[in-house]
Amino acid sequence: MSQNTGTGPGDTTAAKSVQIHDPTLRDGHHAVRHQLGSRQLRAYAAAADAAAVPVVEVGHGNGLGASSLQVGQARCSDDEMLSVVREALRNSRMGVFMLPGWGTVEDLKKAISHQVDLVRIGTHCTEGNLAERHLGFLREAGVDAHAVLLMSHMASAGRLAEECARLVGYGATGVGILDSSGHYLPADVTERIGAIRAAVAVPVLFHGHNNLGMAVANSVAAVEAGADIVDACARGFGAGAGNTQLEVVVPVLERMGYSTGIDLYRLLDAADIAATELMDAPPSIDSVGIVSGLAGVFSGFKTRVLDISRREGVDPRDVFFELGRLQAVAGQEDLIVDVALNLRATDERTASHV
Amino acid sequence: MERNGRLSAVVLGAGLIGVDLMTKVMRSDVLDLRLVVGRDGASPGLRQADRLGLRTATDGIRSLTDTDDVFDVAFDATSALSHAEHAARLAPLGTVLIDLTPSQVGRMVVPTVNGPDALAHRDVNMVSCGGQASIPILHAIARRHRVDYIEVVTTAASMSVGPSTRLNLDEYVGTTRAAVRALTGVDKVKAILNLSPARPPAMFRVAMSLLGEDLTDTSVRALVEDAARGVRAFVDGYRVTACTADGEKAFVAVEVTARGERTPEYAGNIDIINAAALHVAERYAADRFATVGAVTS
Repeated sequence: MSQNTGTGPGDTTAAKSVQIHDPTLRDGHHAVRHQLGSRQLRAYAAAADAAAVPVVEVGHGNGLGASSLQVGQARCSDDEMLSVVREALRNSRMGVFMLPGWGTVEDLKKAISHQVDLVRIGTHCTEGNLAERHLGFLREAGVDAHAVLLMSHMASAGRLAEECARLVGYGATGVGILDSSGHYLPADVTERIGAIRAAVAVPVLFHGHNNLGMAVANSVAAVEAGADIVDACARGFGAGAGNTQLEVVVPVLERMGYSTGIDLYRLLDAADIAATELMDAPPSIDSVGIVSGLAGVFSGFKTRVLDISRREGVDPRDVFFELGRLQAVAGQEDLIVDVALNLRATDERTASHV
Repeated sequence: MERNGRLSAVVLGAGLIGVDLMTKVMRSDVLDLRLVVGRDGASPGLRQADRLGLRTATDGIRSLTDTDDVFDVAFDATSALSHAEHAARLAPLGTVLIDLTPSQVGRMVVPTVNGPDALAHRDVNMVSCGGQASIPILHAIARRHRVDYIEVVTTAASMSVGPSTRLNLDEYVGTTRAAVRALTGVDKVKAILNLSPARPPAMFRVAMSLLGEDLTDTSVRALVEDAARGVRAFVDGYRVTACTADGEKAFVAVEVTARGERTPEYAGNIDIINAAALHVAERYAADRFATVGAVTS
């Protein structure tokens, strides 16, 4: 493989292009309790920019305005994160993420004042209409706005396609699904992306998690089913078992004949920088990662589940399966305490009967 | 105008909140529900009002201004974006407005915390479901302890949240935060809203985290239980599901089981804000009759 994995802008070959969207500095925050500092943000953003990664997304793991006790307080404010990354990017576009109910239009205005290029508004997969006001605001403001559906394994392909069509109506310039739990197998992705592709005319995106070791395979399935945008993080830096690994999925797609425009050596350099600067160890598929993927629970719950399970003396795997049974969705971290306390009470009752 | 010892009332808005409110107002001994106003005569809410034998109208606020009827109390269950206009149009008529939208226009009232404030204002705002569920407890703790930070996370079942509320998420967050600040005196406040799509639907729940000093388990628990008892006096299904404190941090979770006739159990969000609104209206009626009685005697 040549050093440049992509076909440059001047190339006339008709390779289908896939746009890579890199949320290392946003989703990766889940893996380090939202504690990335400005030096780390700057180092990685500059490296990703040098590799010609098209979009670099930054922020608290749950997006703008989400720093909280509920999901973890970030080291840097949104303002600090956005200004540092903005300065570090010369060619890559800067992206942010926001969940209505957590962030508001005030947060979007702040991001616009930092010259954000692309905003993603996320909602739970069946609640797309919560994004109507925010997408409308961004459309008025002339900001590129994608809408993403979280925990998308909880809805059928038809329902996701309907939601996506509605989101386009609200003004989304791109739509797609997040496998927030790392629950999908490739056939699930093919079916869902295919349905969405058939329902909308805007770019379609897929965001994978690696709980069951399927993130790259699922991303490939998404592209083959018509996805235009794939999310991926350096070293898979992300919640729980991690995300689709950026420096793996890019050359895989290139080998399949898709063009990403990304420079391979610079990409590998950026991933090495991420490994040394951002994390103690890259995400791995450990026991709770597998269980949370099987249970279909938001990967971002991991650190909180481990903390609380240790404190209450319960098995974190039981906590994950119980959260799955309750159909907990991203943001409902306050349920973890109740689940752990109930399990402990059940354990104690059982023990007293022995 | 009062008739047979009851004040005349109108419900503006026939969504999920408006429908539950109708059934509550109909049961009141001091309010006479004369009209329910919606936008679409074929909507489930207005059809339900018809079935209950209530008079309905579809002209929005004009149904109140372009009529000879005089309404003592109007409940606004429309949208935060419409309330300011409703308040302006009704002001000359002397109608007392009880606003169930998170508009932040009128005086924010939480019955067990600043209930009497409502009597001095013609436009009373019921804050939000999360505000009604959390502020009694937060106020009780903040009055006795140093509290530096408050966080309120509300989770409502998706099926209990109608279209207007969905468009008003920013107003929900802003109004809840403003009310917690104003009624606890704590400056650093964060409000968050989650919708749960779970089936069967999740119970309405509000989780509160506080950072401060000397937040001991014994002290916090007593304050929380006392505050919860006060709310239970008019919201039967209100209960504390978790309460822990370790000195610097306290965590309290409450759930509200709805007891409305036609409102499903999980929709405690609708039940608590409507029960609070009815409480304010009945208090106003009692005050008004007491004053009238004093004048005529």
